[in-house]
Amino acid sequence: MEAIIPVKNGQSVKKYSHVLVRFQSLIALFILCVAISLLSDKFLTVTNTWNVMRQISVNICISVGMTLVVLTAGIDLSVGSVLALCGAITAGLLKNGIEIPSNNLFIGFTLLGAIVAGLLIGALLGLFNGWAITRWKVPPFVATLAMLTIARGFTMLWTGGYPISSLGSGFDYIGTGWLLGIPVPVWISGIVVAAAIVLTKKTRLGRYVYAIGGNEQAAKLSGIRINKIKMAVYTTAGALAAIGGIMVTSRLDSAQPNAGITYELDAIAAVVIGGTSLSGGRGSILGTVLGAVIIGVLNNGLVLLNVSPFWQQVVKGGVILLAVIIDKANTKTE
Amino acid sequence: MKKGLNYIITLLLLVVVAYNSVYFKKLSEVKAAGKSKQFNATAYAQDYLNGKLPSALDKALDVNRLTALLKADPETGFQKYSHALGIGNIRFFLVKGQGEIAKIEEDATTLLVQQDTARQLIRIATEYVFGNAVRDASGLININEFDNTMDFNGVSAEVNKIIREKVLPPFKKEAKKGDEVIFTGAIELNQAHLKLDNIEVVPVTLQLVKKSQ
Repeated sequence: MEAIIPVKNGQSVKKYSHVLVRFQSLIALFILCVAISLLSDKFLTVTNTWNVMRQISVNICISVGMTLVVLTAGIDLSVGSVLALCGAITAGLLKNGIEIPSNNLFIGFTLLGAIVAGLLIGALLGLFNGWAITRWKVPPFVATLAMLTIARGFTMLWTGGYPISSLGSGFDYIGTGWLLGIPVPVWISGIVVAAAIVLTKKTRLGRYVYAIGGNEQAAKLSGIRINKIKMAVYTTAGALAAIGGIMVTSRLDSAQPNAGITYELDAIAAVVIGGTSLSGGRGSILGTVLGAVIIGVLNNGLVLLNVSPFWQQVVKGGVILLAVIIDKANTKTE
Repeated sequence: MKKGLNYIITLLLLVVVAYNSVYFKKLSEVKAAGKSKQFNATAYAQDYLNGKLPSALDKALDVNRLTALLKADPETGFQKYSHALGIGNIRFFLVKGQGEIAKIEEDATTLLVQQDTARQLIRIATEYVFGNAVRDASGLININEFDNTMDFNGVSAEVNKIIREKVLPPFKKEAKKGDEVIFTGAIELNQAHLKLDNIEVVPVTLQLVKKSQ
């Protein structure tokens, strides 16, 4: 909120309030880190920092996809289930391959093959979301809610309700390995973020995404192929959820049929806390990354402070609500 | 021209990825190879109970001494004598002792264990033997030896099954109130919420010493 307070030398603090608003998420993160480090001596340690970074990598991947969707004024509630299904398919193909008894044939999948298959499934499910939204005009909330249950159902069918474990030493490198002193998941999420920043800032597709979210009708009238862009965005979100699923599965060395439950809420929270408007057209990838870091630090801090998991949910919900209220207040002042 | 080149590069890339993604084998060969690789949890559990565990049980602390130590200095007690896989508060101990049967119930036999001036009632599980106490209390089994957690959990299941089938039936058949019992086994304690008034031992060996003997 802007405040014009005259000071002795005639300057106002107006410009400072602008800075405060612009960097509010960063300031919130700083305050959060200081508070937790004062309350727990285990917080500001190298091990814990890498642990937090590793944990938020998955949320960053799906949140980046969610940001693109929200920028078009949409929403994707299916990312958690898509994540689970893609992780399970990757694990299942890697471990068991495909058996065709009638031809006495076994189709085995290499690590590359299983990962490609997982990513393709994620992209296809995203494409299906986009198709339902654009072709049949199903509201994004409903279309992706349907996909949430469809993908979860397929996950249960594929796994039979049991985890698929012991996936080999090569696969666990994705979730637990280190490269040049940095955890591999952090590299992956970093590459995803860099690619998304380039996409949103430097490409025509990125500009169209903002244009559609800002004013869909105007974008349509100016010749943007809205349906095509939306389908591309939902496909990307699905593929990024698949990347998240592969990372989770690799980290646990096991595909859990109930993986990714409520991940969509964490992703939406990261997007909202990062300053992306739920009505579309306004927001940034870096803001979302900051939002994901805030949620990750908050989760980690609450665990370190031995806060009950029930209270953790209450606190997280409160933070999301606060972020939206502050965002609304800022929008009004602007 | 440029578009055509793009298509060719994409197609080549797809072919390379596909070629490196899948391989084909005869299903019968794959199944035969899988069978020979299967982990034998029963054999592993038998080897553990008969080969590795007895020497560890010889060194186990008397249950009365352990409880006295845990009352006086729980930190040392847990650090020196307990084992567990994870970093949680649940820890396992190997124990031994001798006591007189005070009560026989359907699921447990209560012993009055007396040593020097210390006396306490200890329950010996005689019906519901489950969990990982016997597997983990010795600290001799390393999870990294196993290809997957299912095999690792299978060891506990088999160990408990052997105890249920081989150790408990002869004991339950013969045990009478007032008999002396020499036992070894494992117990589970919570480090954060330590309760020593209701210790239950998952037995590994139970030897009856009849009063008439």
